Amino acid sequence: MTPKLTQISPLLFEFEWISEVSDELLQHQLTFKDRLQKEFTTELAELRMGFKTLALVLSTPLEARIIKQWLRSNSTQGSLNPLPSKIWQIPVCYSPETGRDLQALAKSKNMEQDELISLHSQGQYRLHFYGFLPGFMYLNGLPNRLYTARKSVPDRVVPAGSVAIGASQTGIYPSVSPGGWHLIGQTPVPLFDPGHIPPVFASAGERIEFTPITIQQFTRLQRHPHPPLCK
Amino acid sequence: MGNLQLVKTGIGTCIQDTGRFGYTAYGVPVSGALDMRSYLWVNHLLQNKETDAALEISQPGLSLHFDSPTLICLAGANAAVQLNGKATSSYCVLEIRKNDQLQIGAIHQGAILYLGIKNGFQSEKIMNSRSWYPGITASSYLKKDDRISYFPHEEESVYTASKIRLDFNWMEEPVIEAYPGPEWGLLDKQNKSLIETGKFTVSSLKNRMAIQLMELLPNSIPELATAPVFPGTVQLTSGGKLLVLLKDAQVTGGYPRILQLDEKSIALISQKRPKDQLVFKLKKL
Repeated sequence: MTPKLTQISPLLFEFEWISEVSDELLQHQLTFKDRLQKEFTTELAELRMGFKTLALVLSTPLEARIIKQWLRSNSTQGSLNPLPSKIWQIPVCYSPETGRDLQALAKSKNMEQDELISLHSQGQYRLHFYGFLPGFMYLNGLPNRLYTARKSVPDRVVPAGSVAIGASQTGIYPSVSPGGWHLIGQTPVPLFDPGHIPPVFASAGERIEFTPITIQQFTRLQRHPHPPLCK
Repeated sequence: MGNLQLVKTGIGTCIQDTGRFGYTAYGVPVSGALDMRSYLWVNHLLQNKETDAALEISQPGLSLHFDSPTLICLAGANAAVQLNGKATSSYCVLEIRKNDQLQIGAIHQGAILYLGIKNGFQSEKIMNSRSWYPGITASSYLKKDDRISYFPHEEESVYTASKIRLDFNWMEEPVIEAYPGPEWGLLDKQNKSLIETGKFTVSSLKNRMAIQLMELLPNSIPELATAPVFPGTVQLTSGGKLLVLLKDAQVTGGYPRILQLDEKSIALISQKRPKDQLVFKLKKL
């Protein structure tokens, strides 16, 4: 799995893997990221992940030839770093009150609400990277049966903590925002704290589980928020 | 501590510095001054640090009150500026005395004005930056009666006497230089030639996140698996719109990235106003 290297500007490069999004690809990306960090410590300003990409932002220009040479000689040798084993349990209140599209979505899929909820909460989701909004996790692992095209007209206001489905992905809106995904529930767990470093609890490569809670538990946790449990 | 108080609002005024670096891994945008050239210029003339926070002003009709002496400096858009009711054409360092009032009137040229202050504005620093961004800092735009603190400073500026002529004409340049983006190669011949030879118009959809251009392209490239985007990335939406991402843009996106502007081109395009026309000139590496 050797990625393709493209130079975009004097200070910007991108690696792209021609492969399906998977745990294996993520493992390659994270190992690769780690090696780049060690190799180009002085020139690197930032490494930024996508599902099949890794962007390299430099603080001082570096010739493409040097990165290409590194890519050829040692990027693919050695063993891959294992993916982290941590699993975070995020409590979610799945209900029409906390997820306004739950009923319509279940109906469109000829499912009972409970079936949709158990499909969504039985799986484990791999955190690939953060993007879209501060603290928004890009997760992989939504069961095929829950794939749903995004809304053609996005909602102007999606409440913070909303758990939603859009195309082949599921995610949680960490803050109030416009959004085009279908809302099926809400978590009382705060996902982003700008006053804390790091401002998020989970790291790339870790897993997420959604644990159903009642509306009473939701209200209580909203009043006394605490970070999610992990195993 | 001195205080600057907003007496009258102009929408879209905020505090910016060089930006928030090292936090994109958590989905936090870089932010920072849209026109880095003008922002750095005010700090340079004030003999400040490069990272000293300045006021970024994008609408006329602003009135500011200073409760302590200091030095300020303006750069960027060419606006009608009055100090205590008297017009000042001065775009060099201005001496401010206790209870001075500064008014920013009509903007004649360009779109964004920077007001730097000696030693920078002392608003809250979050994740190593004072740049305002909703959800990160307490405020995202300055509202009436808001106060921002600064260190009082009494000094006769060496620059006030020698009038420095600020050049506004650079903002009129219609040619925006850009590198081909990662998905440039996926465009067909017709789209490539439209981008390289066509004229584009800035729409009214312009904010700190992005500028939407008016012309539509017959897009045929599908959306991507979510990938990194940067300030200066030009996206081609499924609907054929061109979006020029600016400093508050998301850190990742799913639309094809067809061009990439550098800092100099971001400054130039940020100074464009709705209806302004521009052309792209492709740069080779």
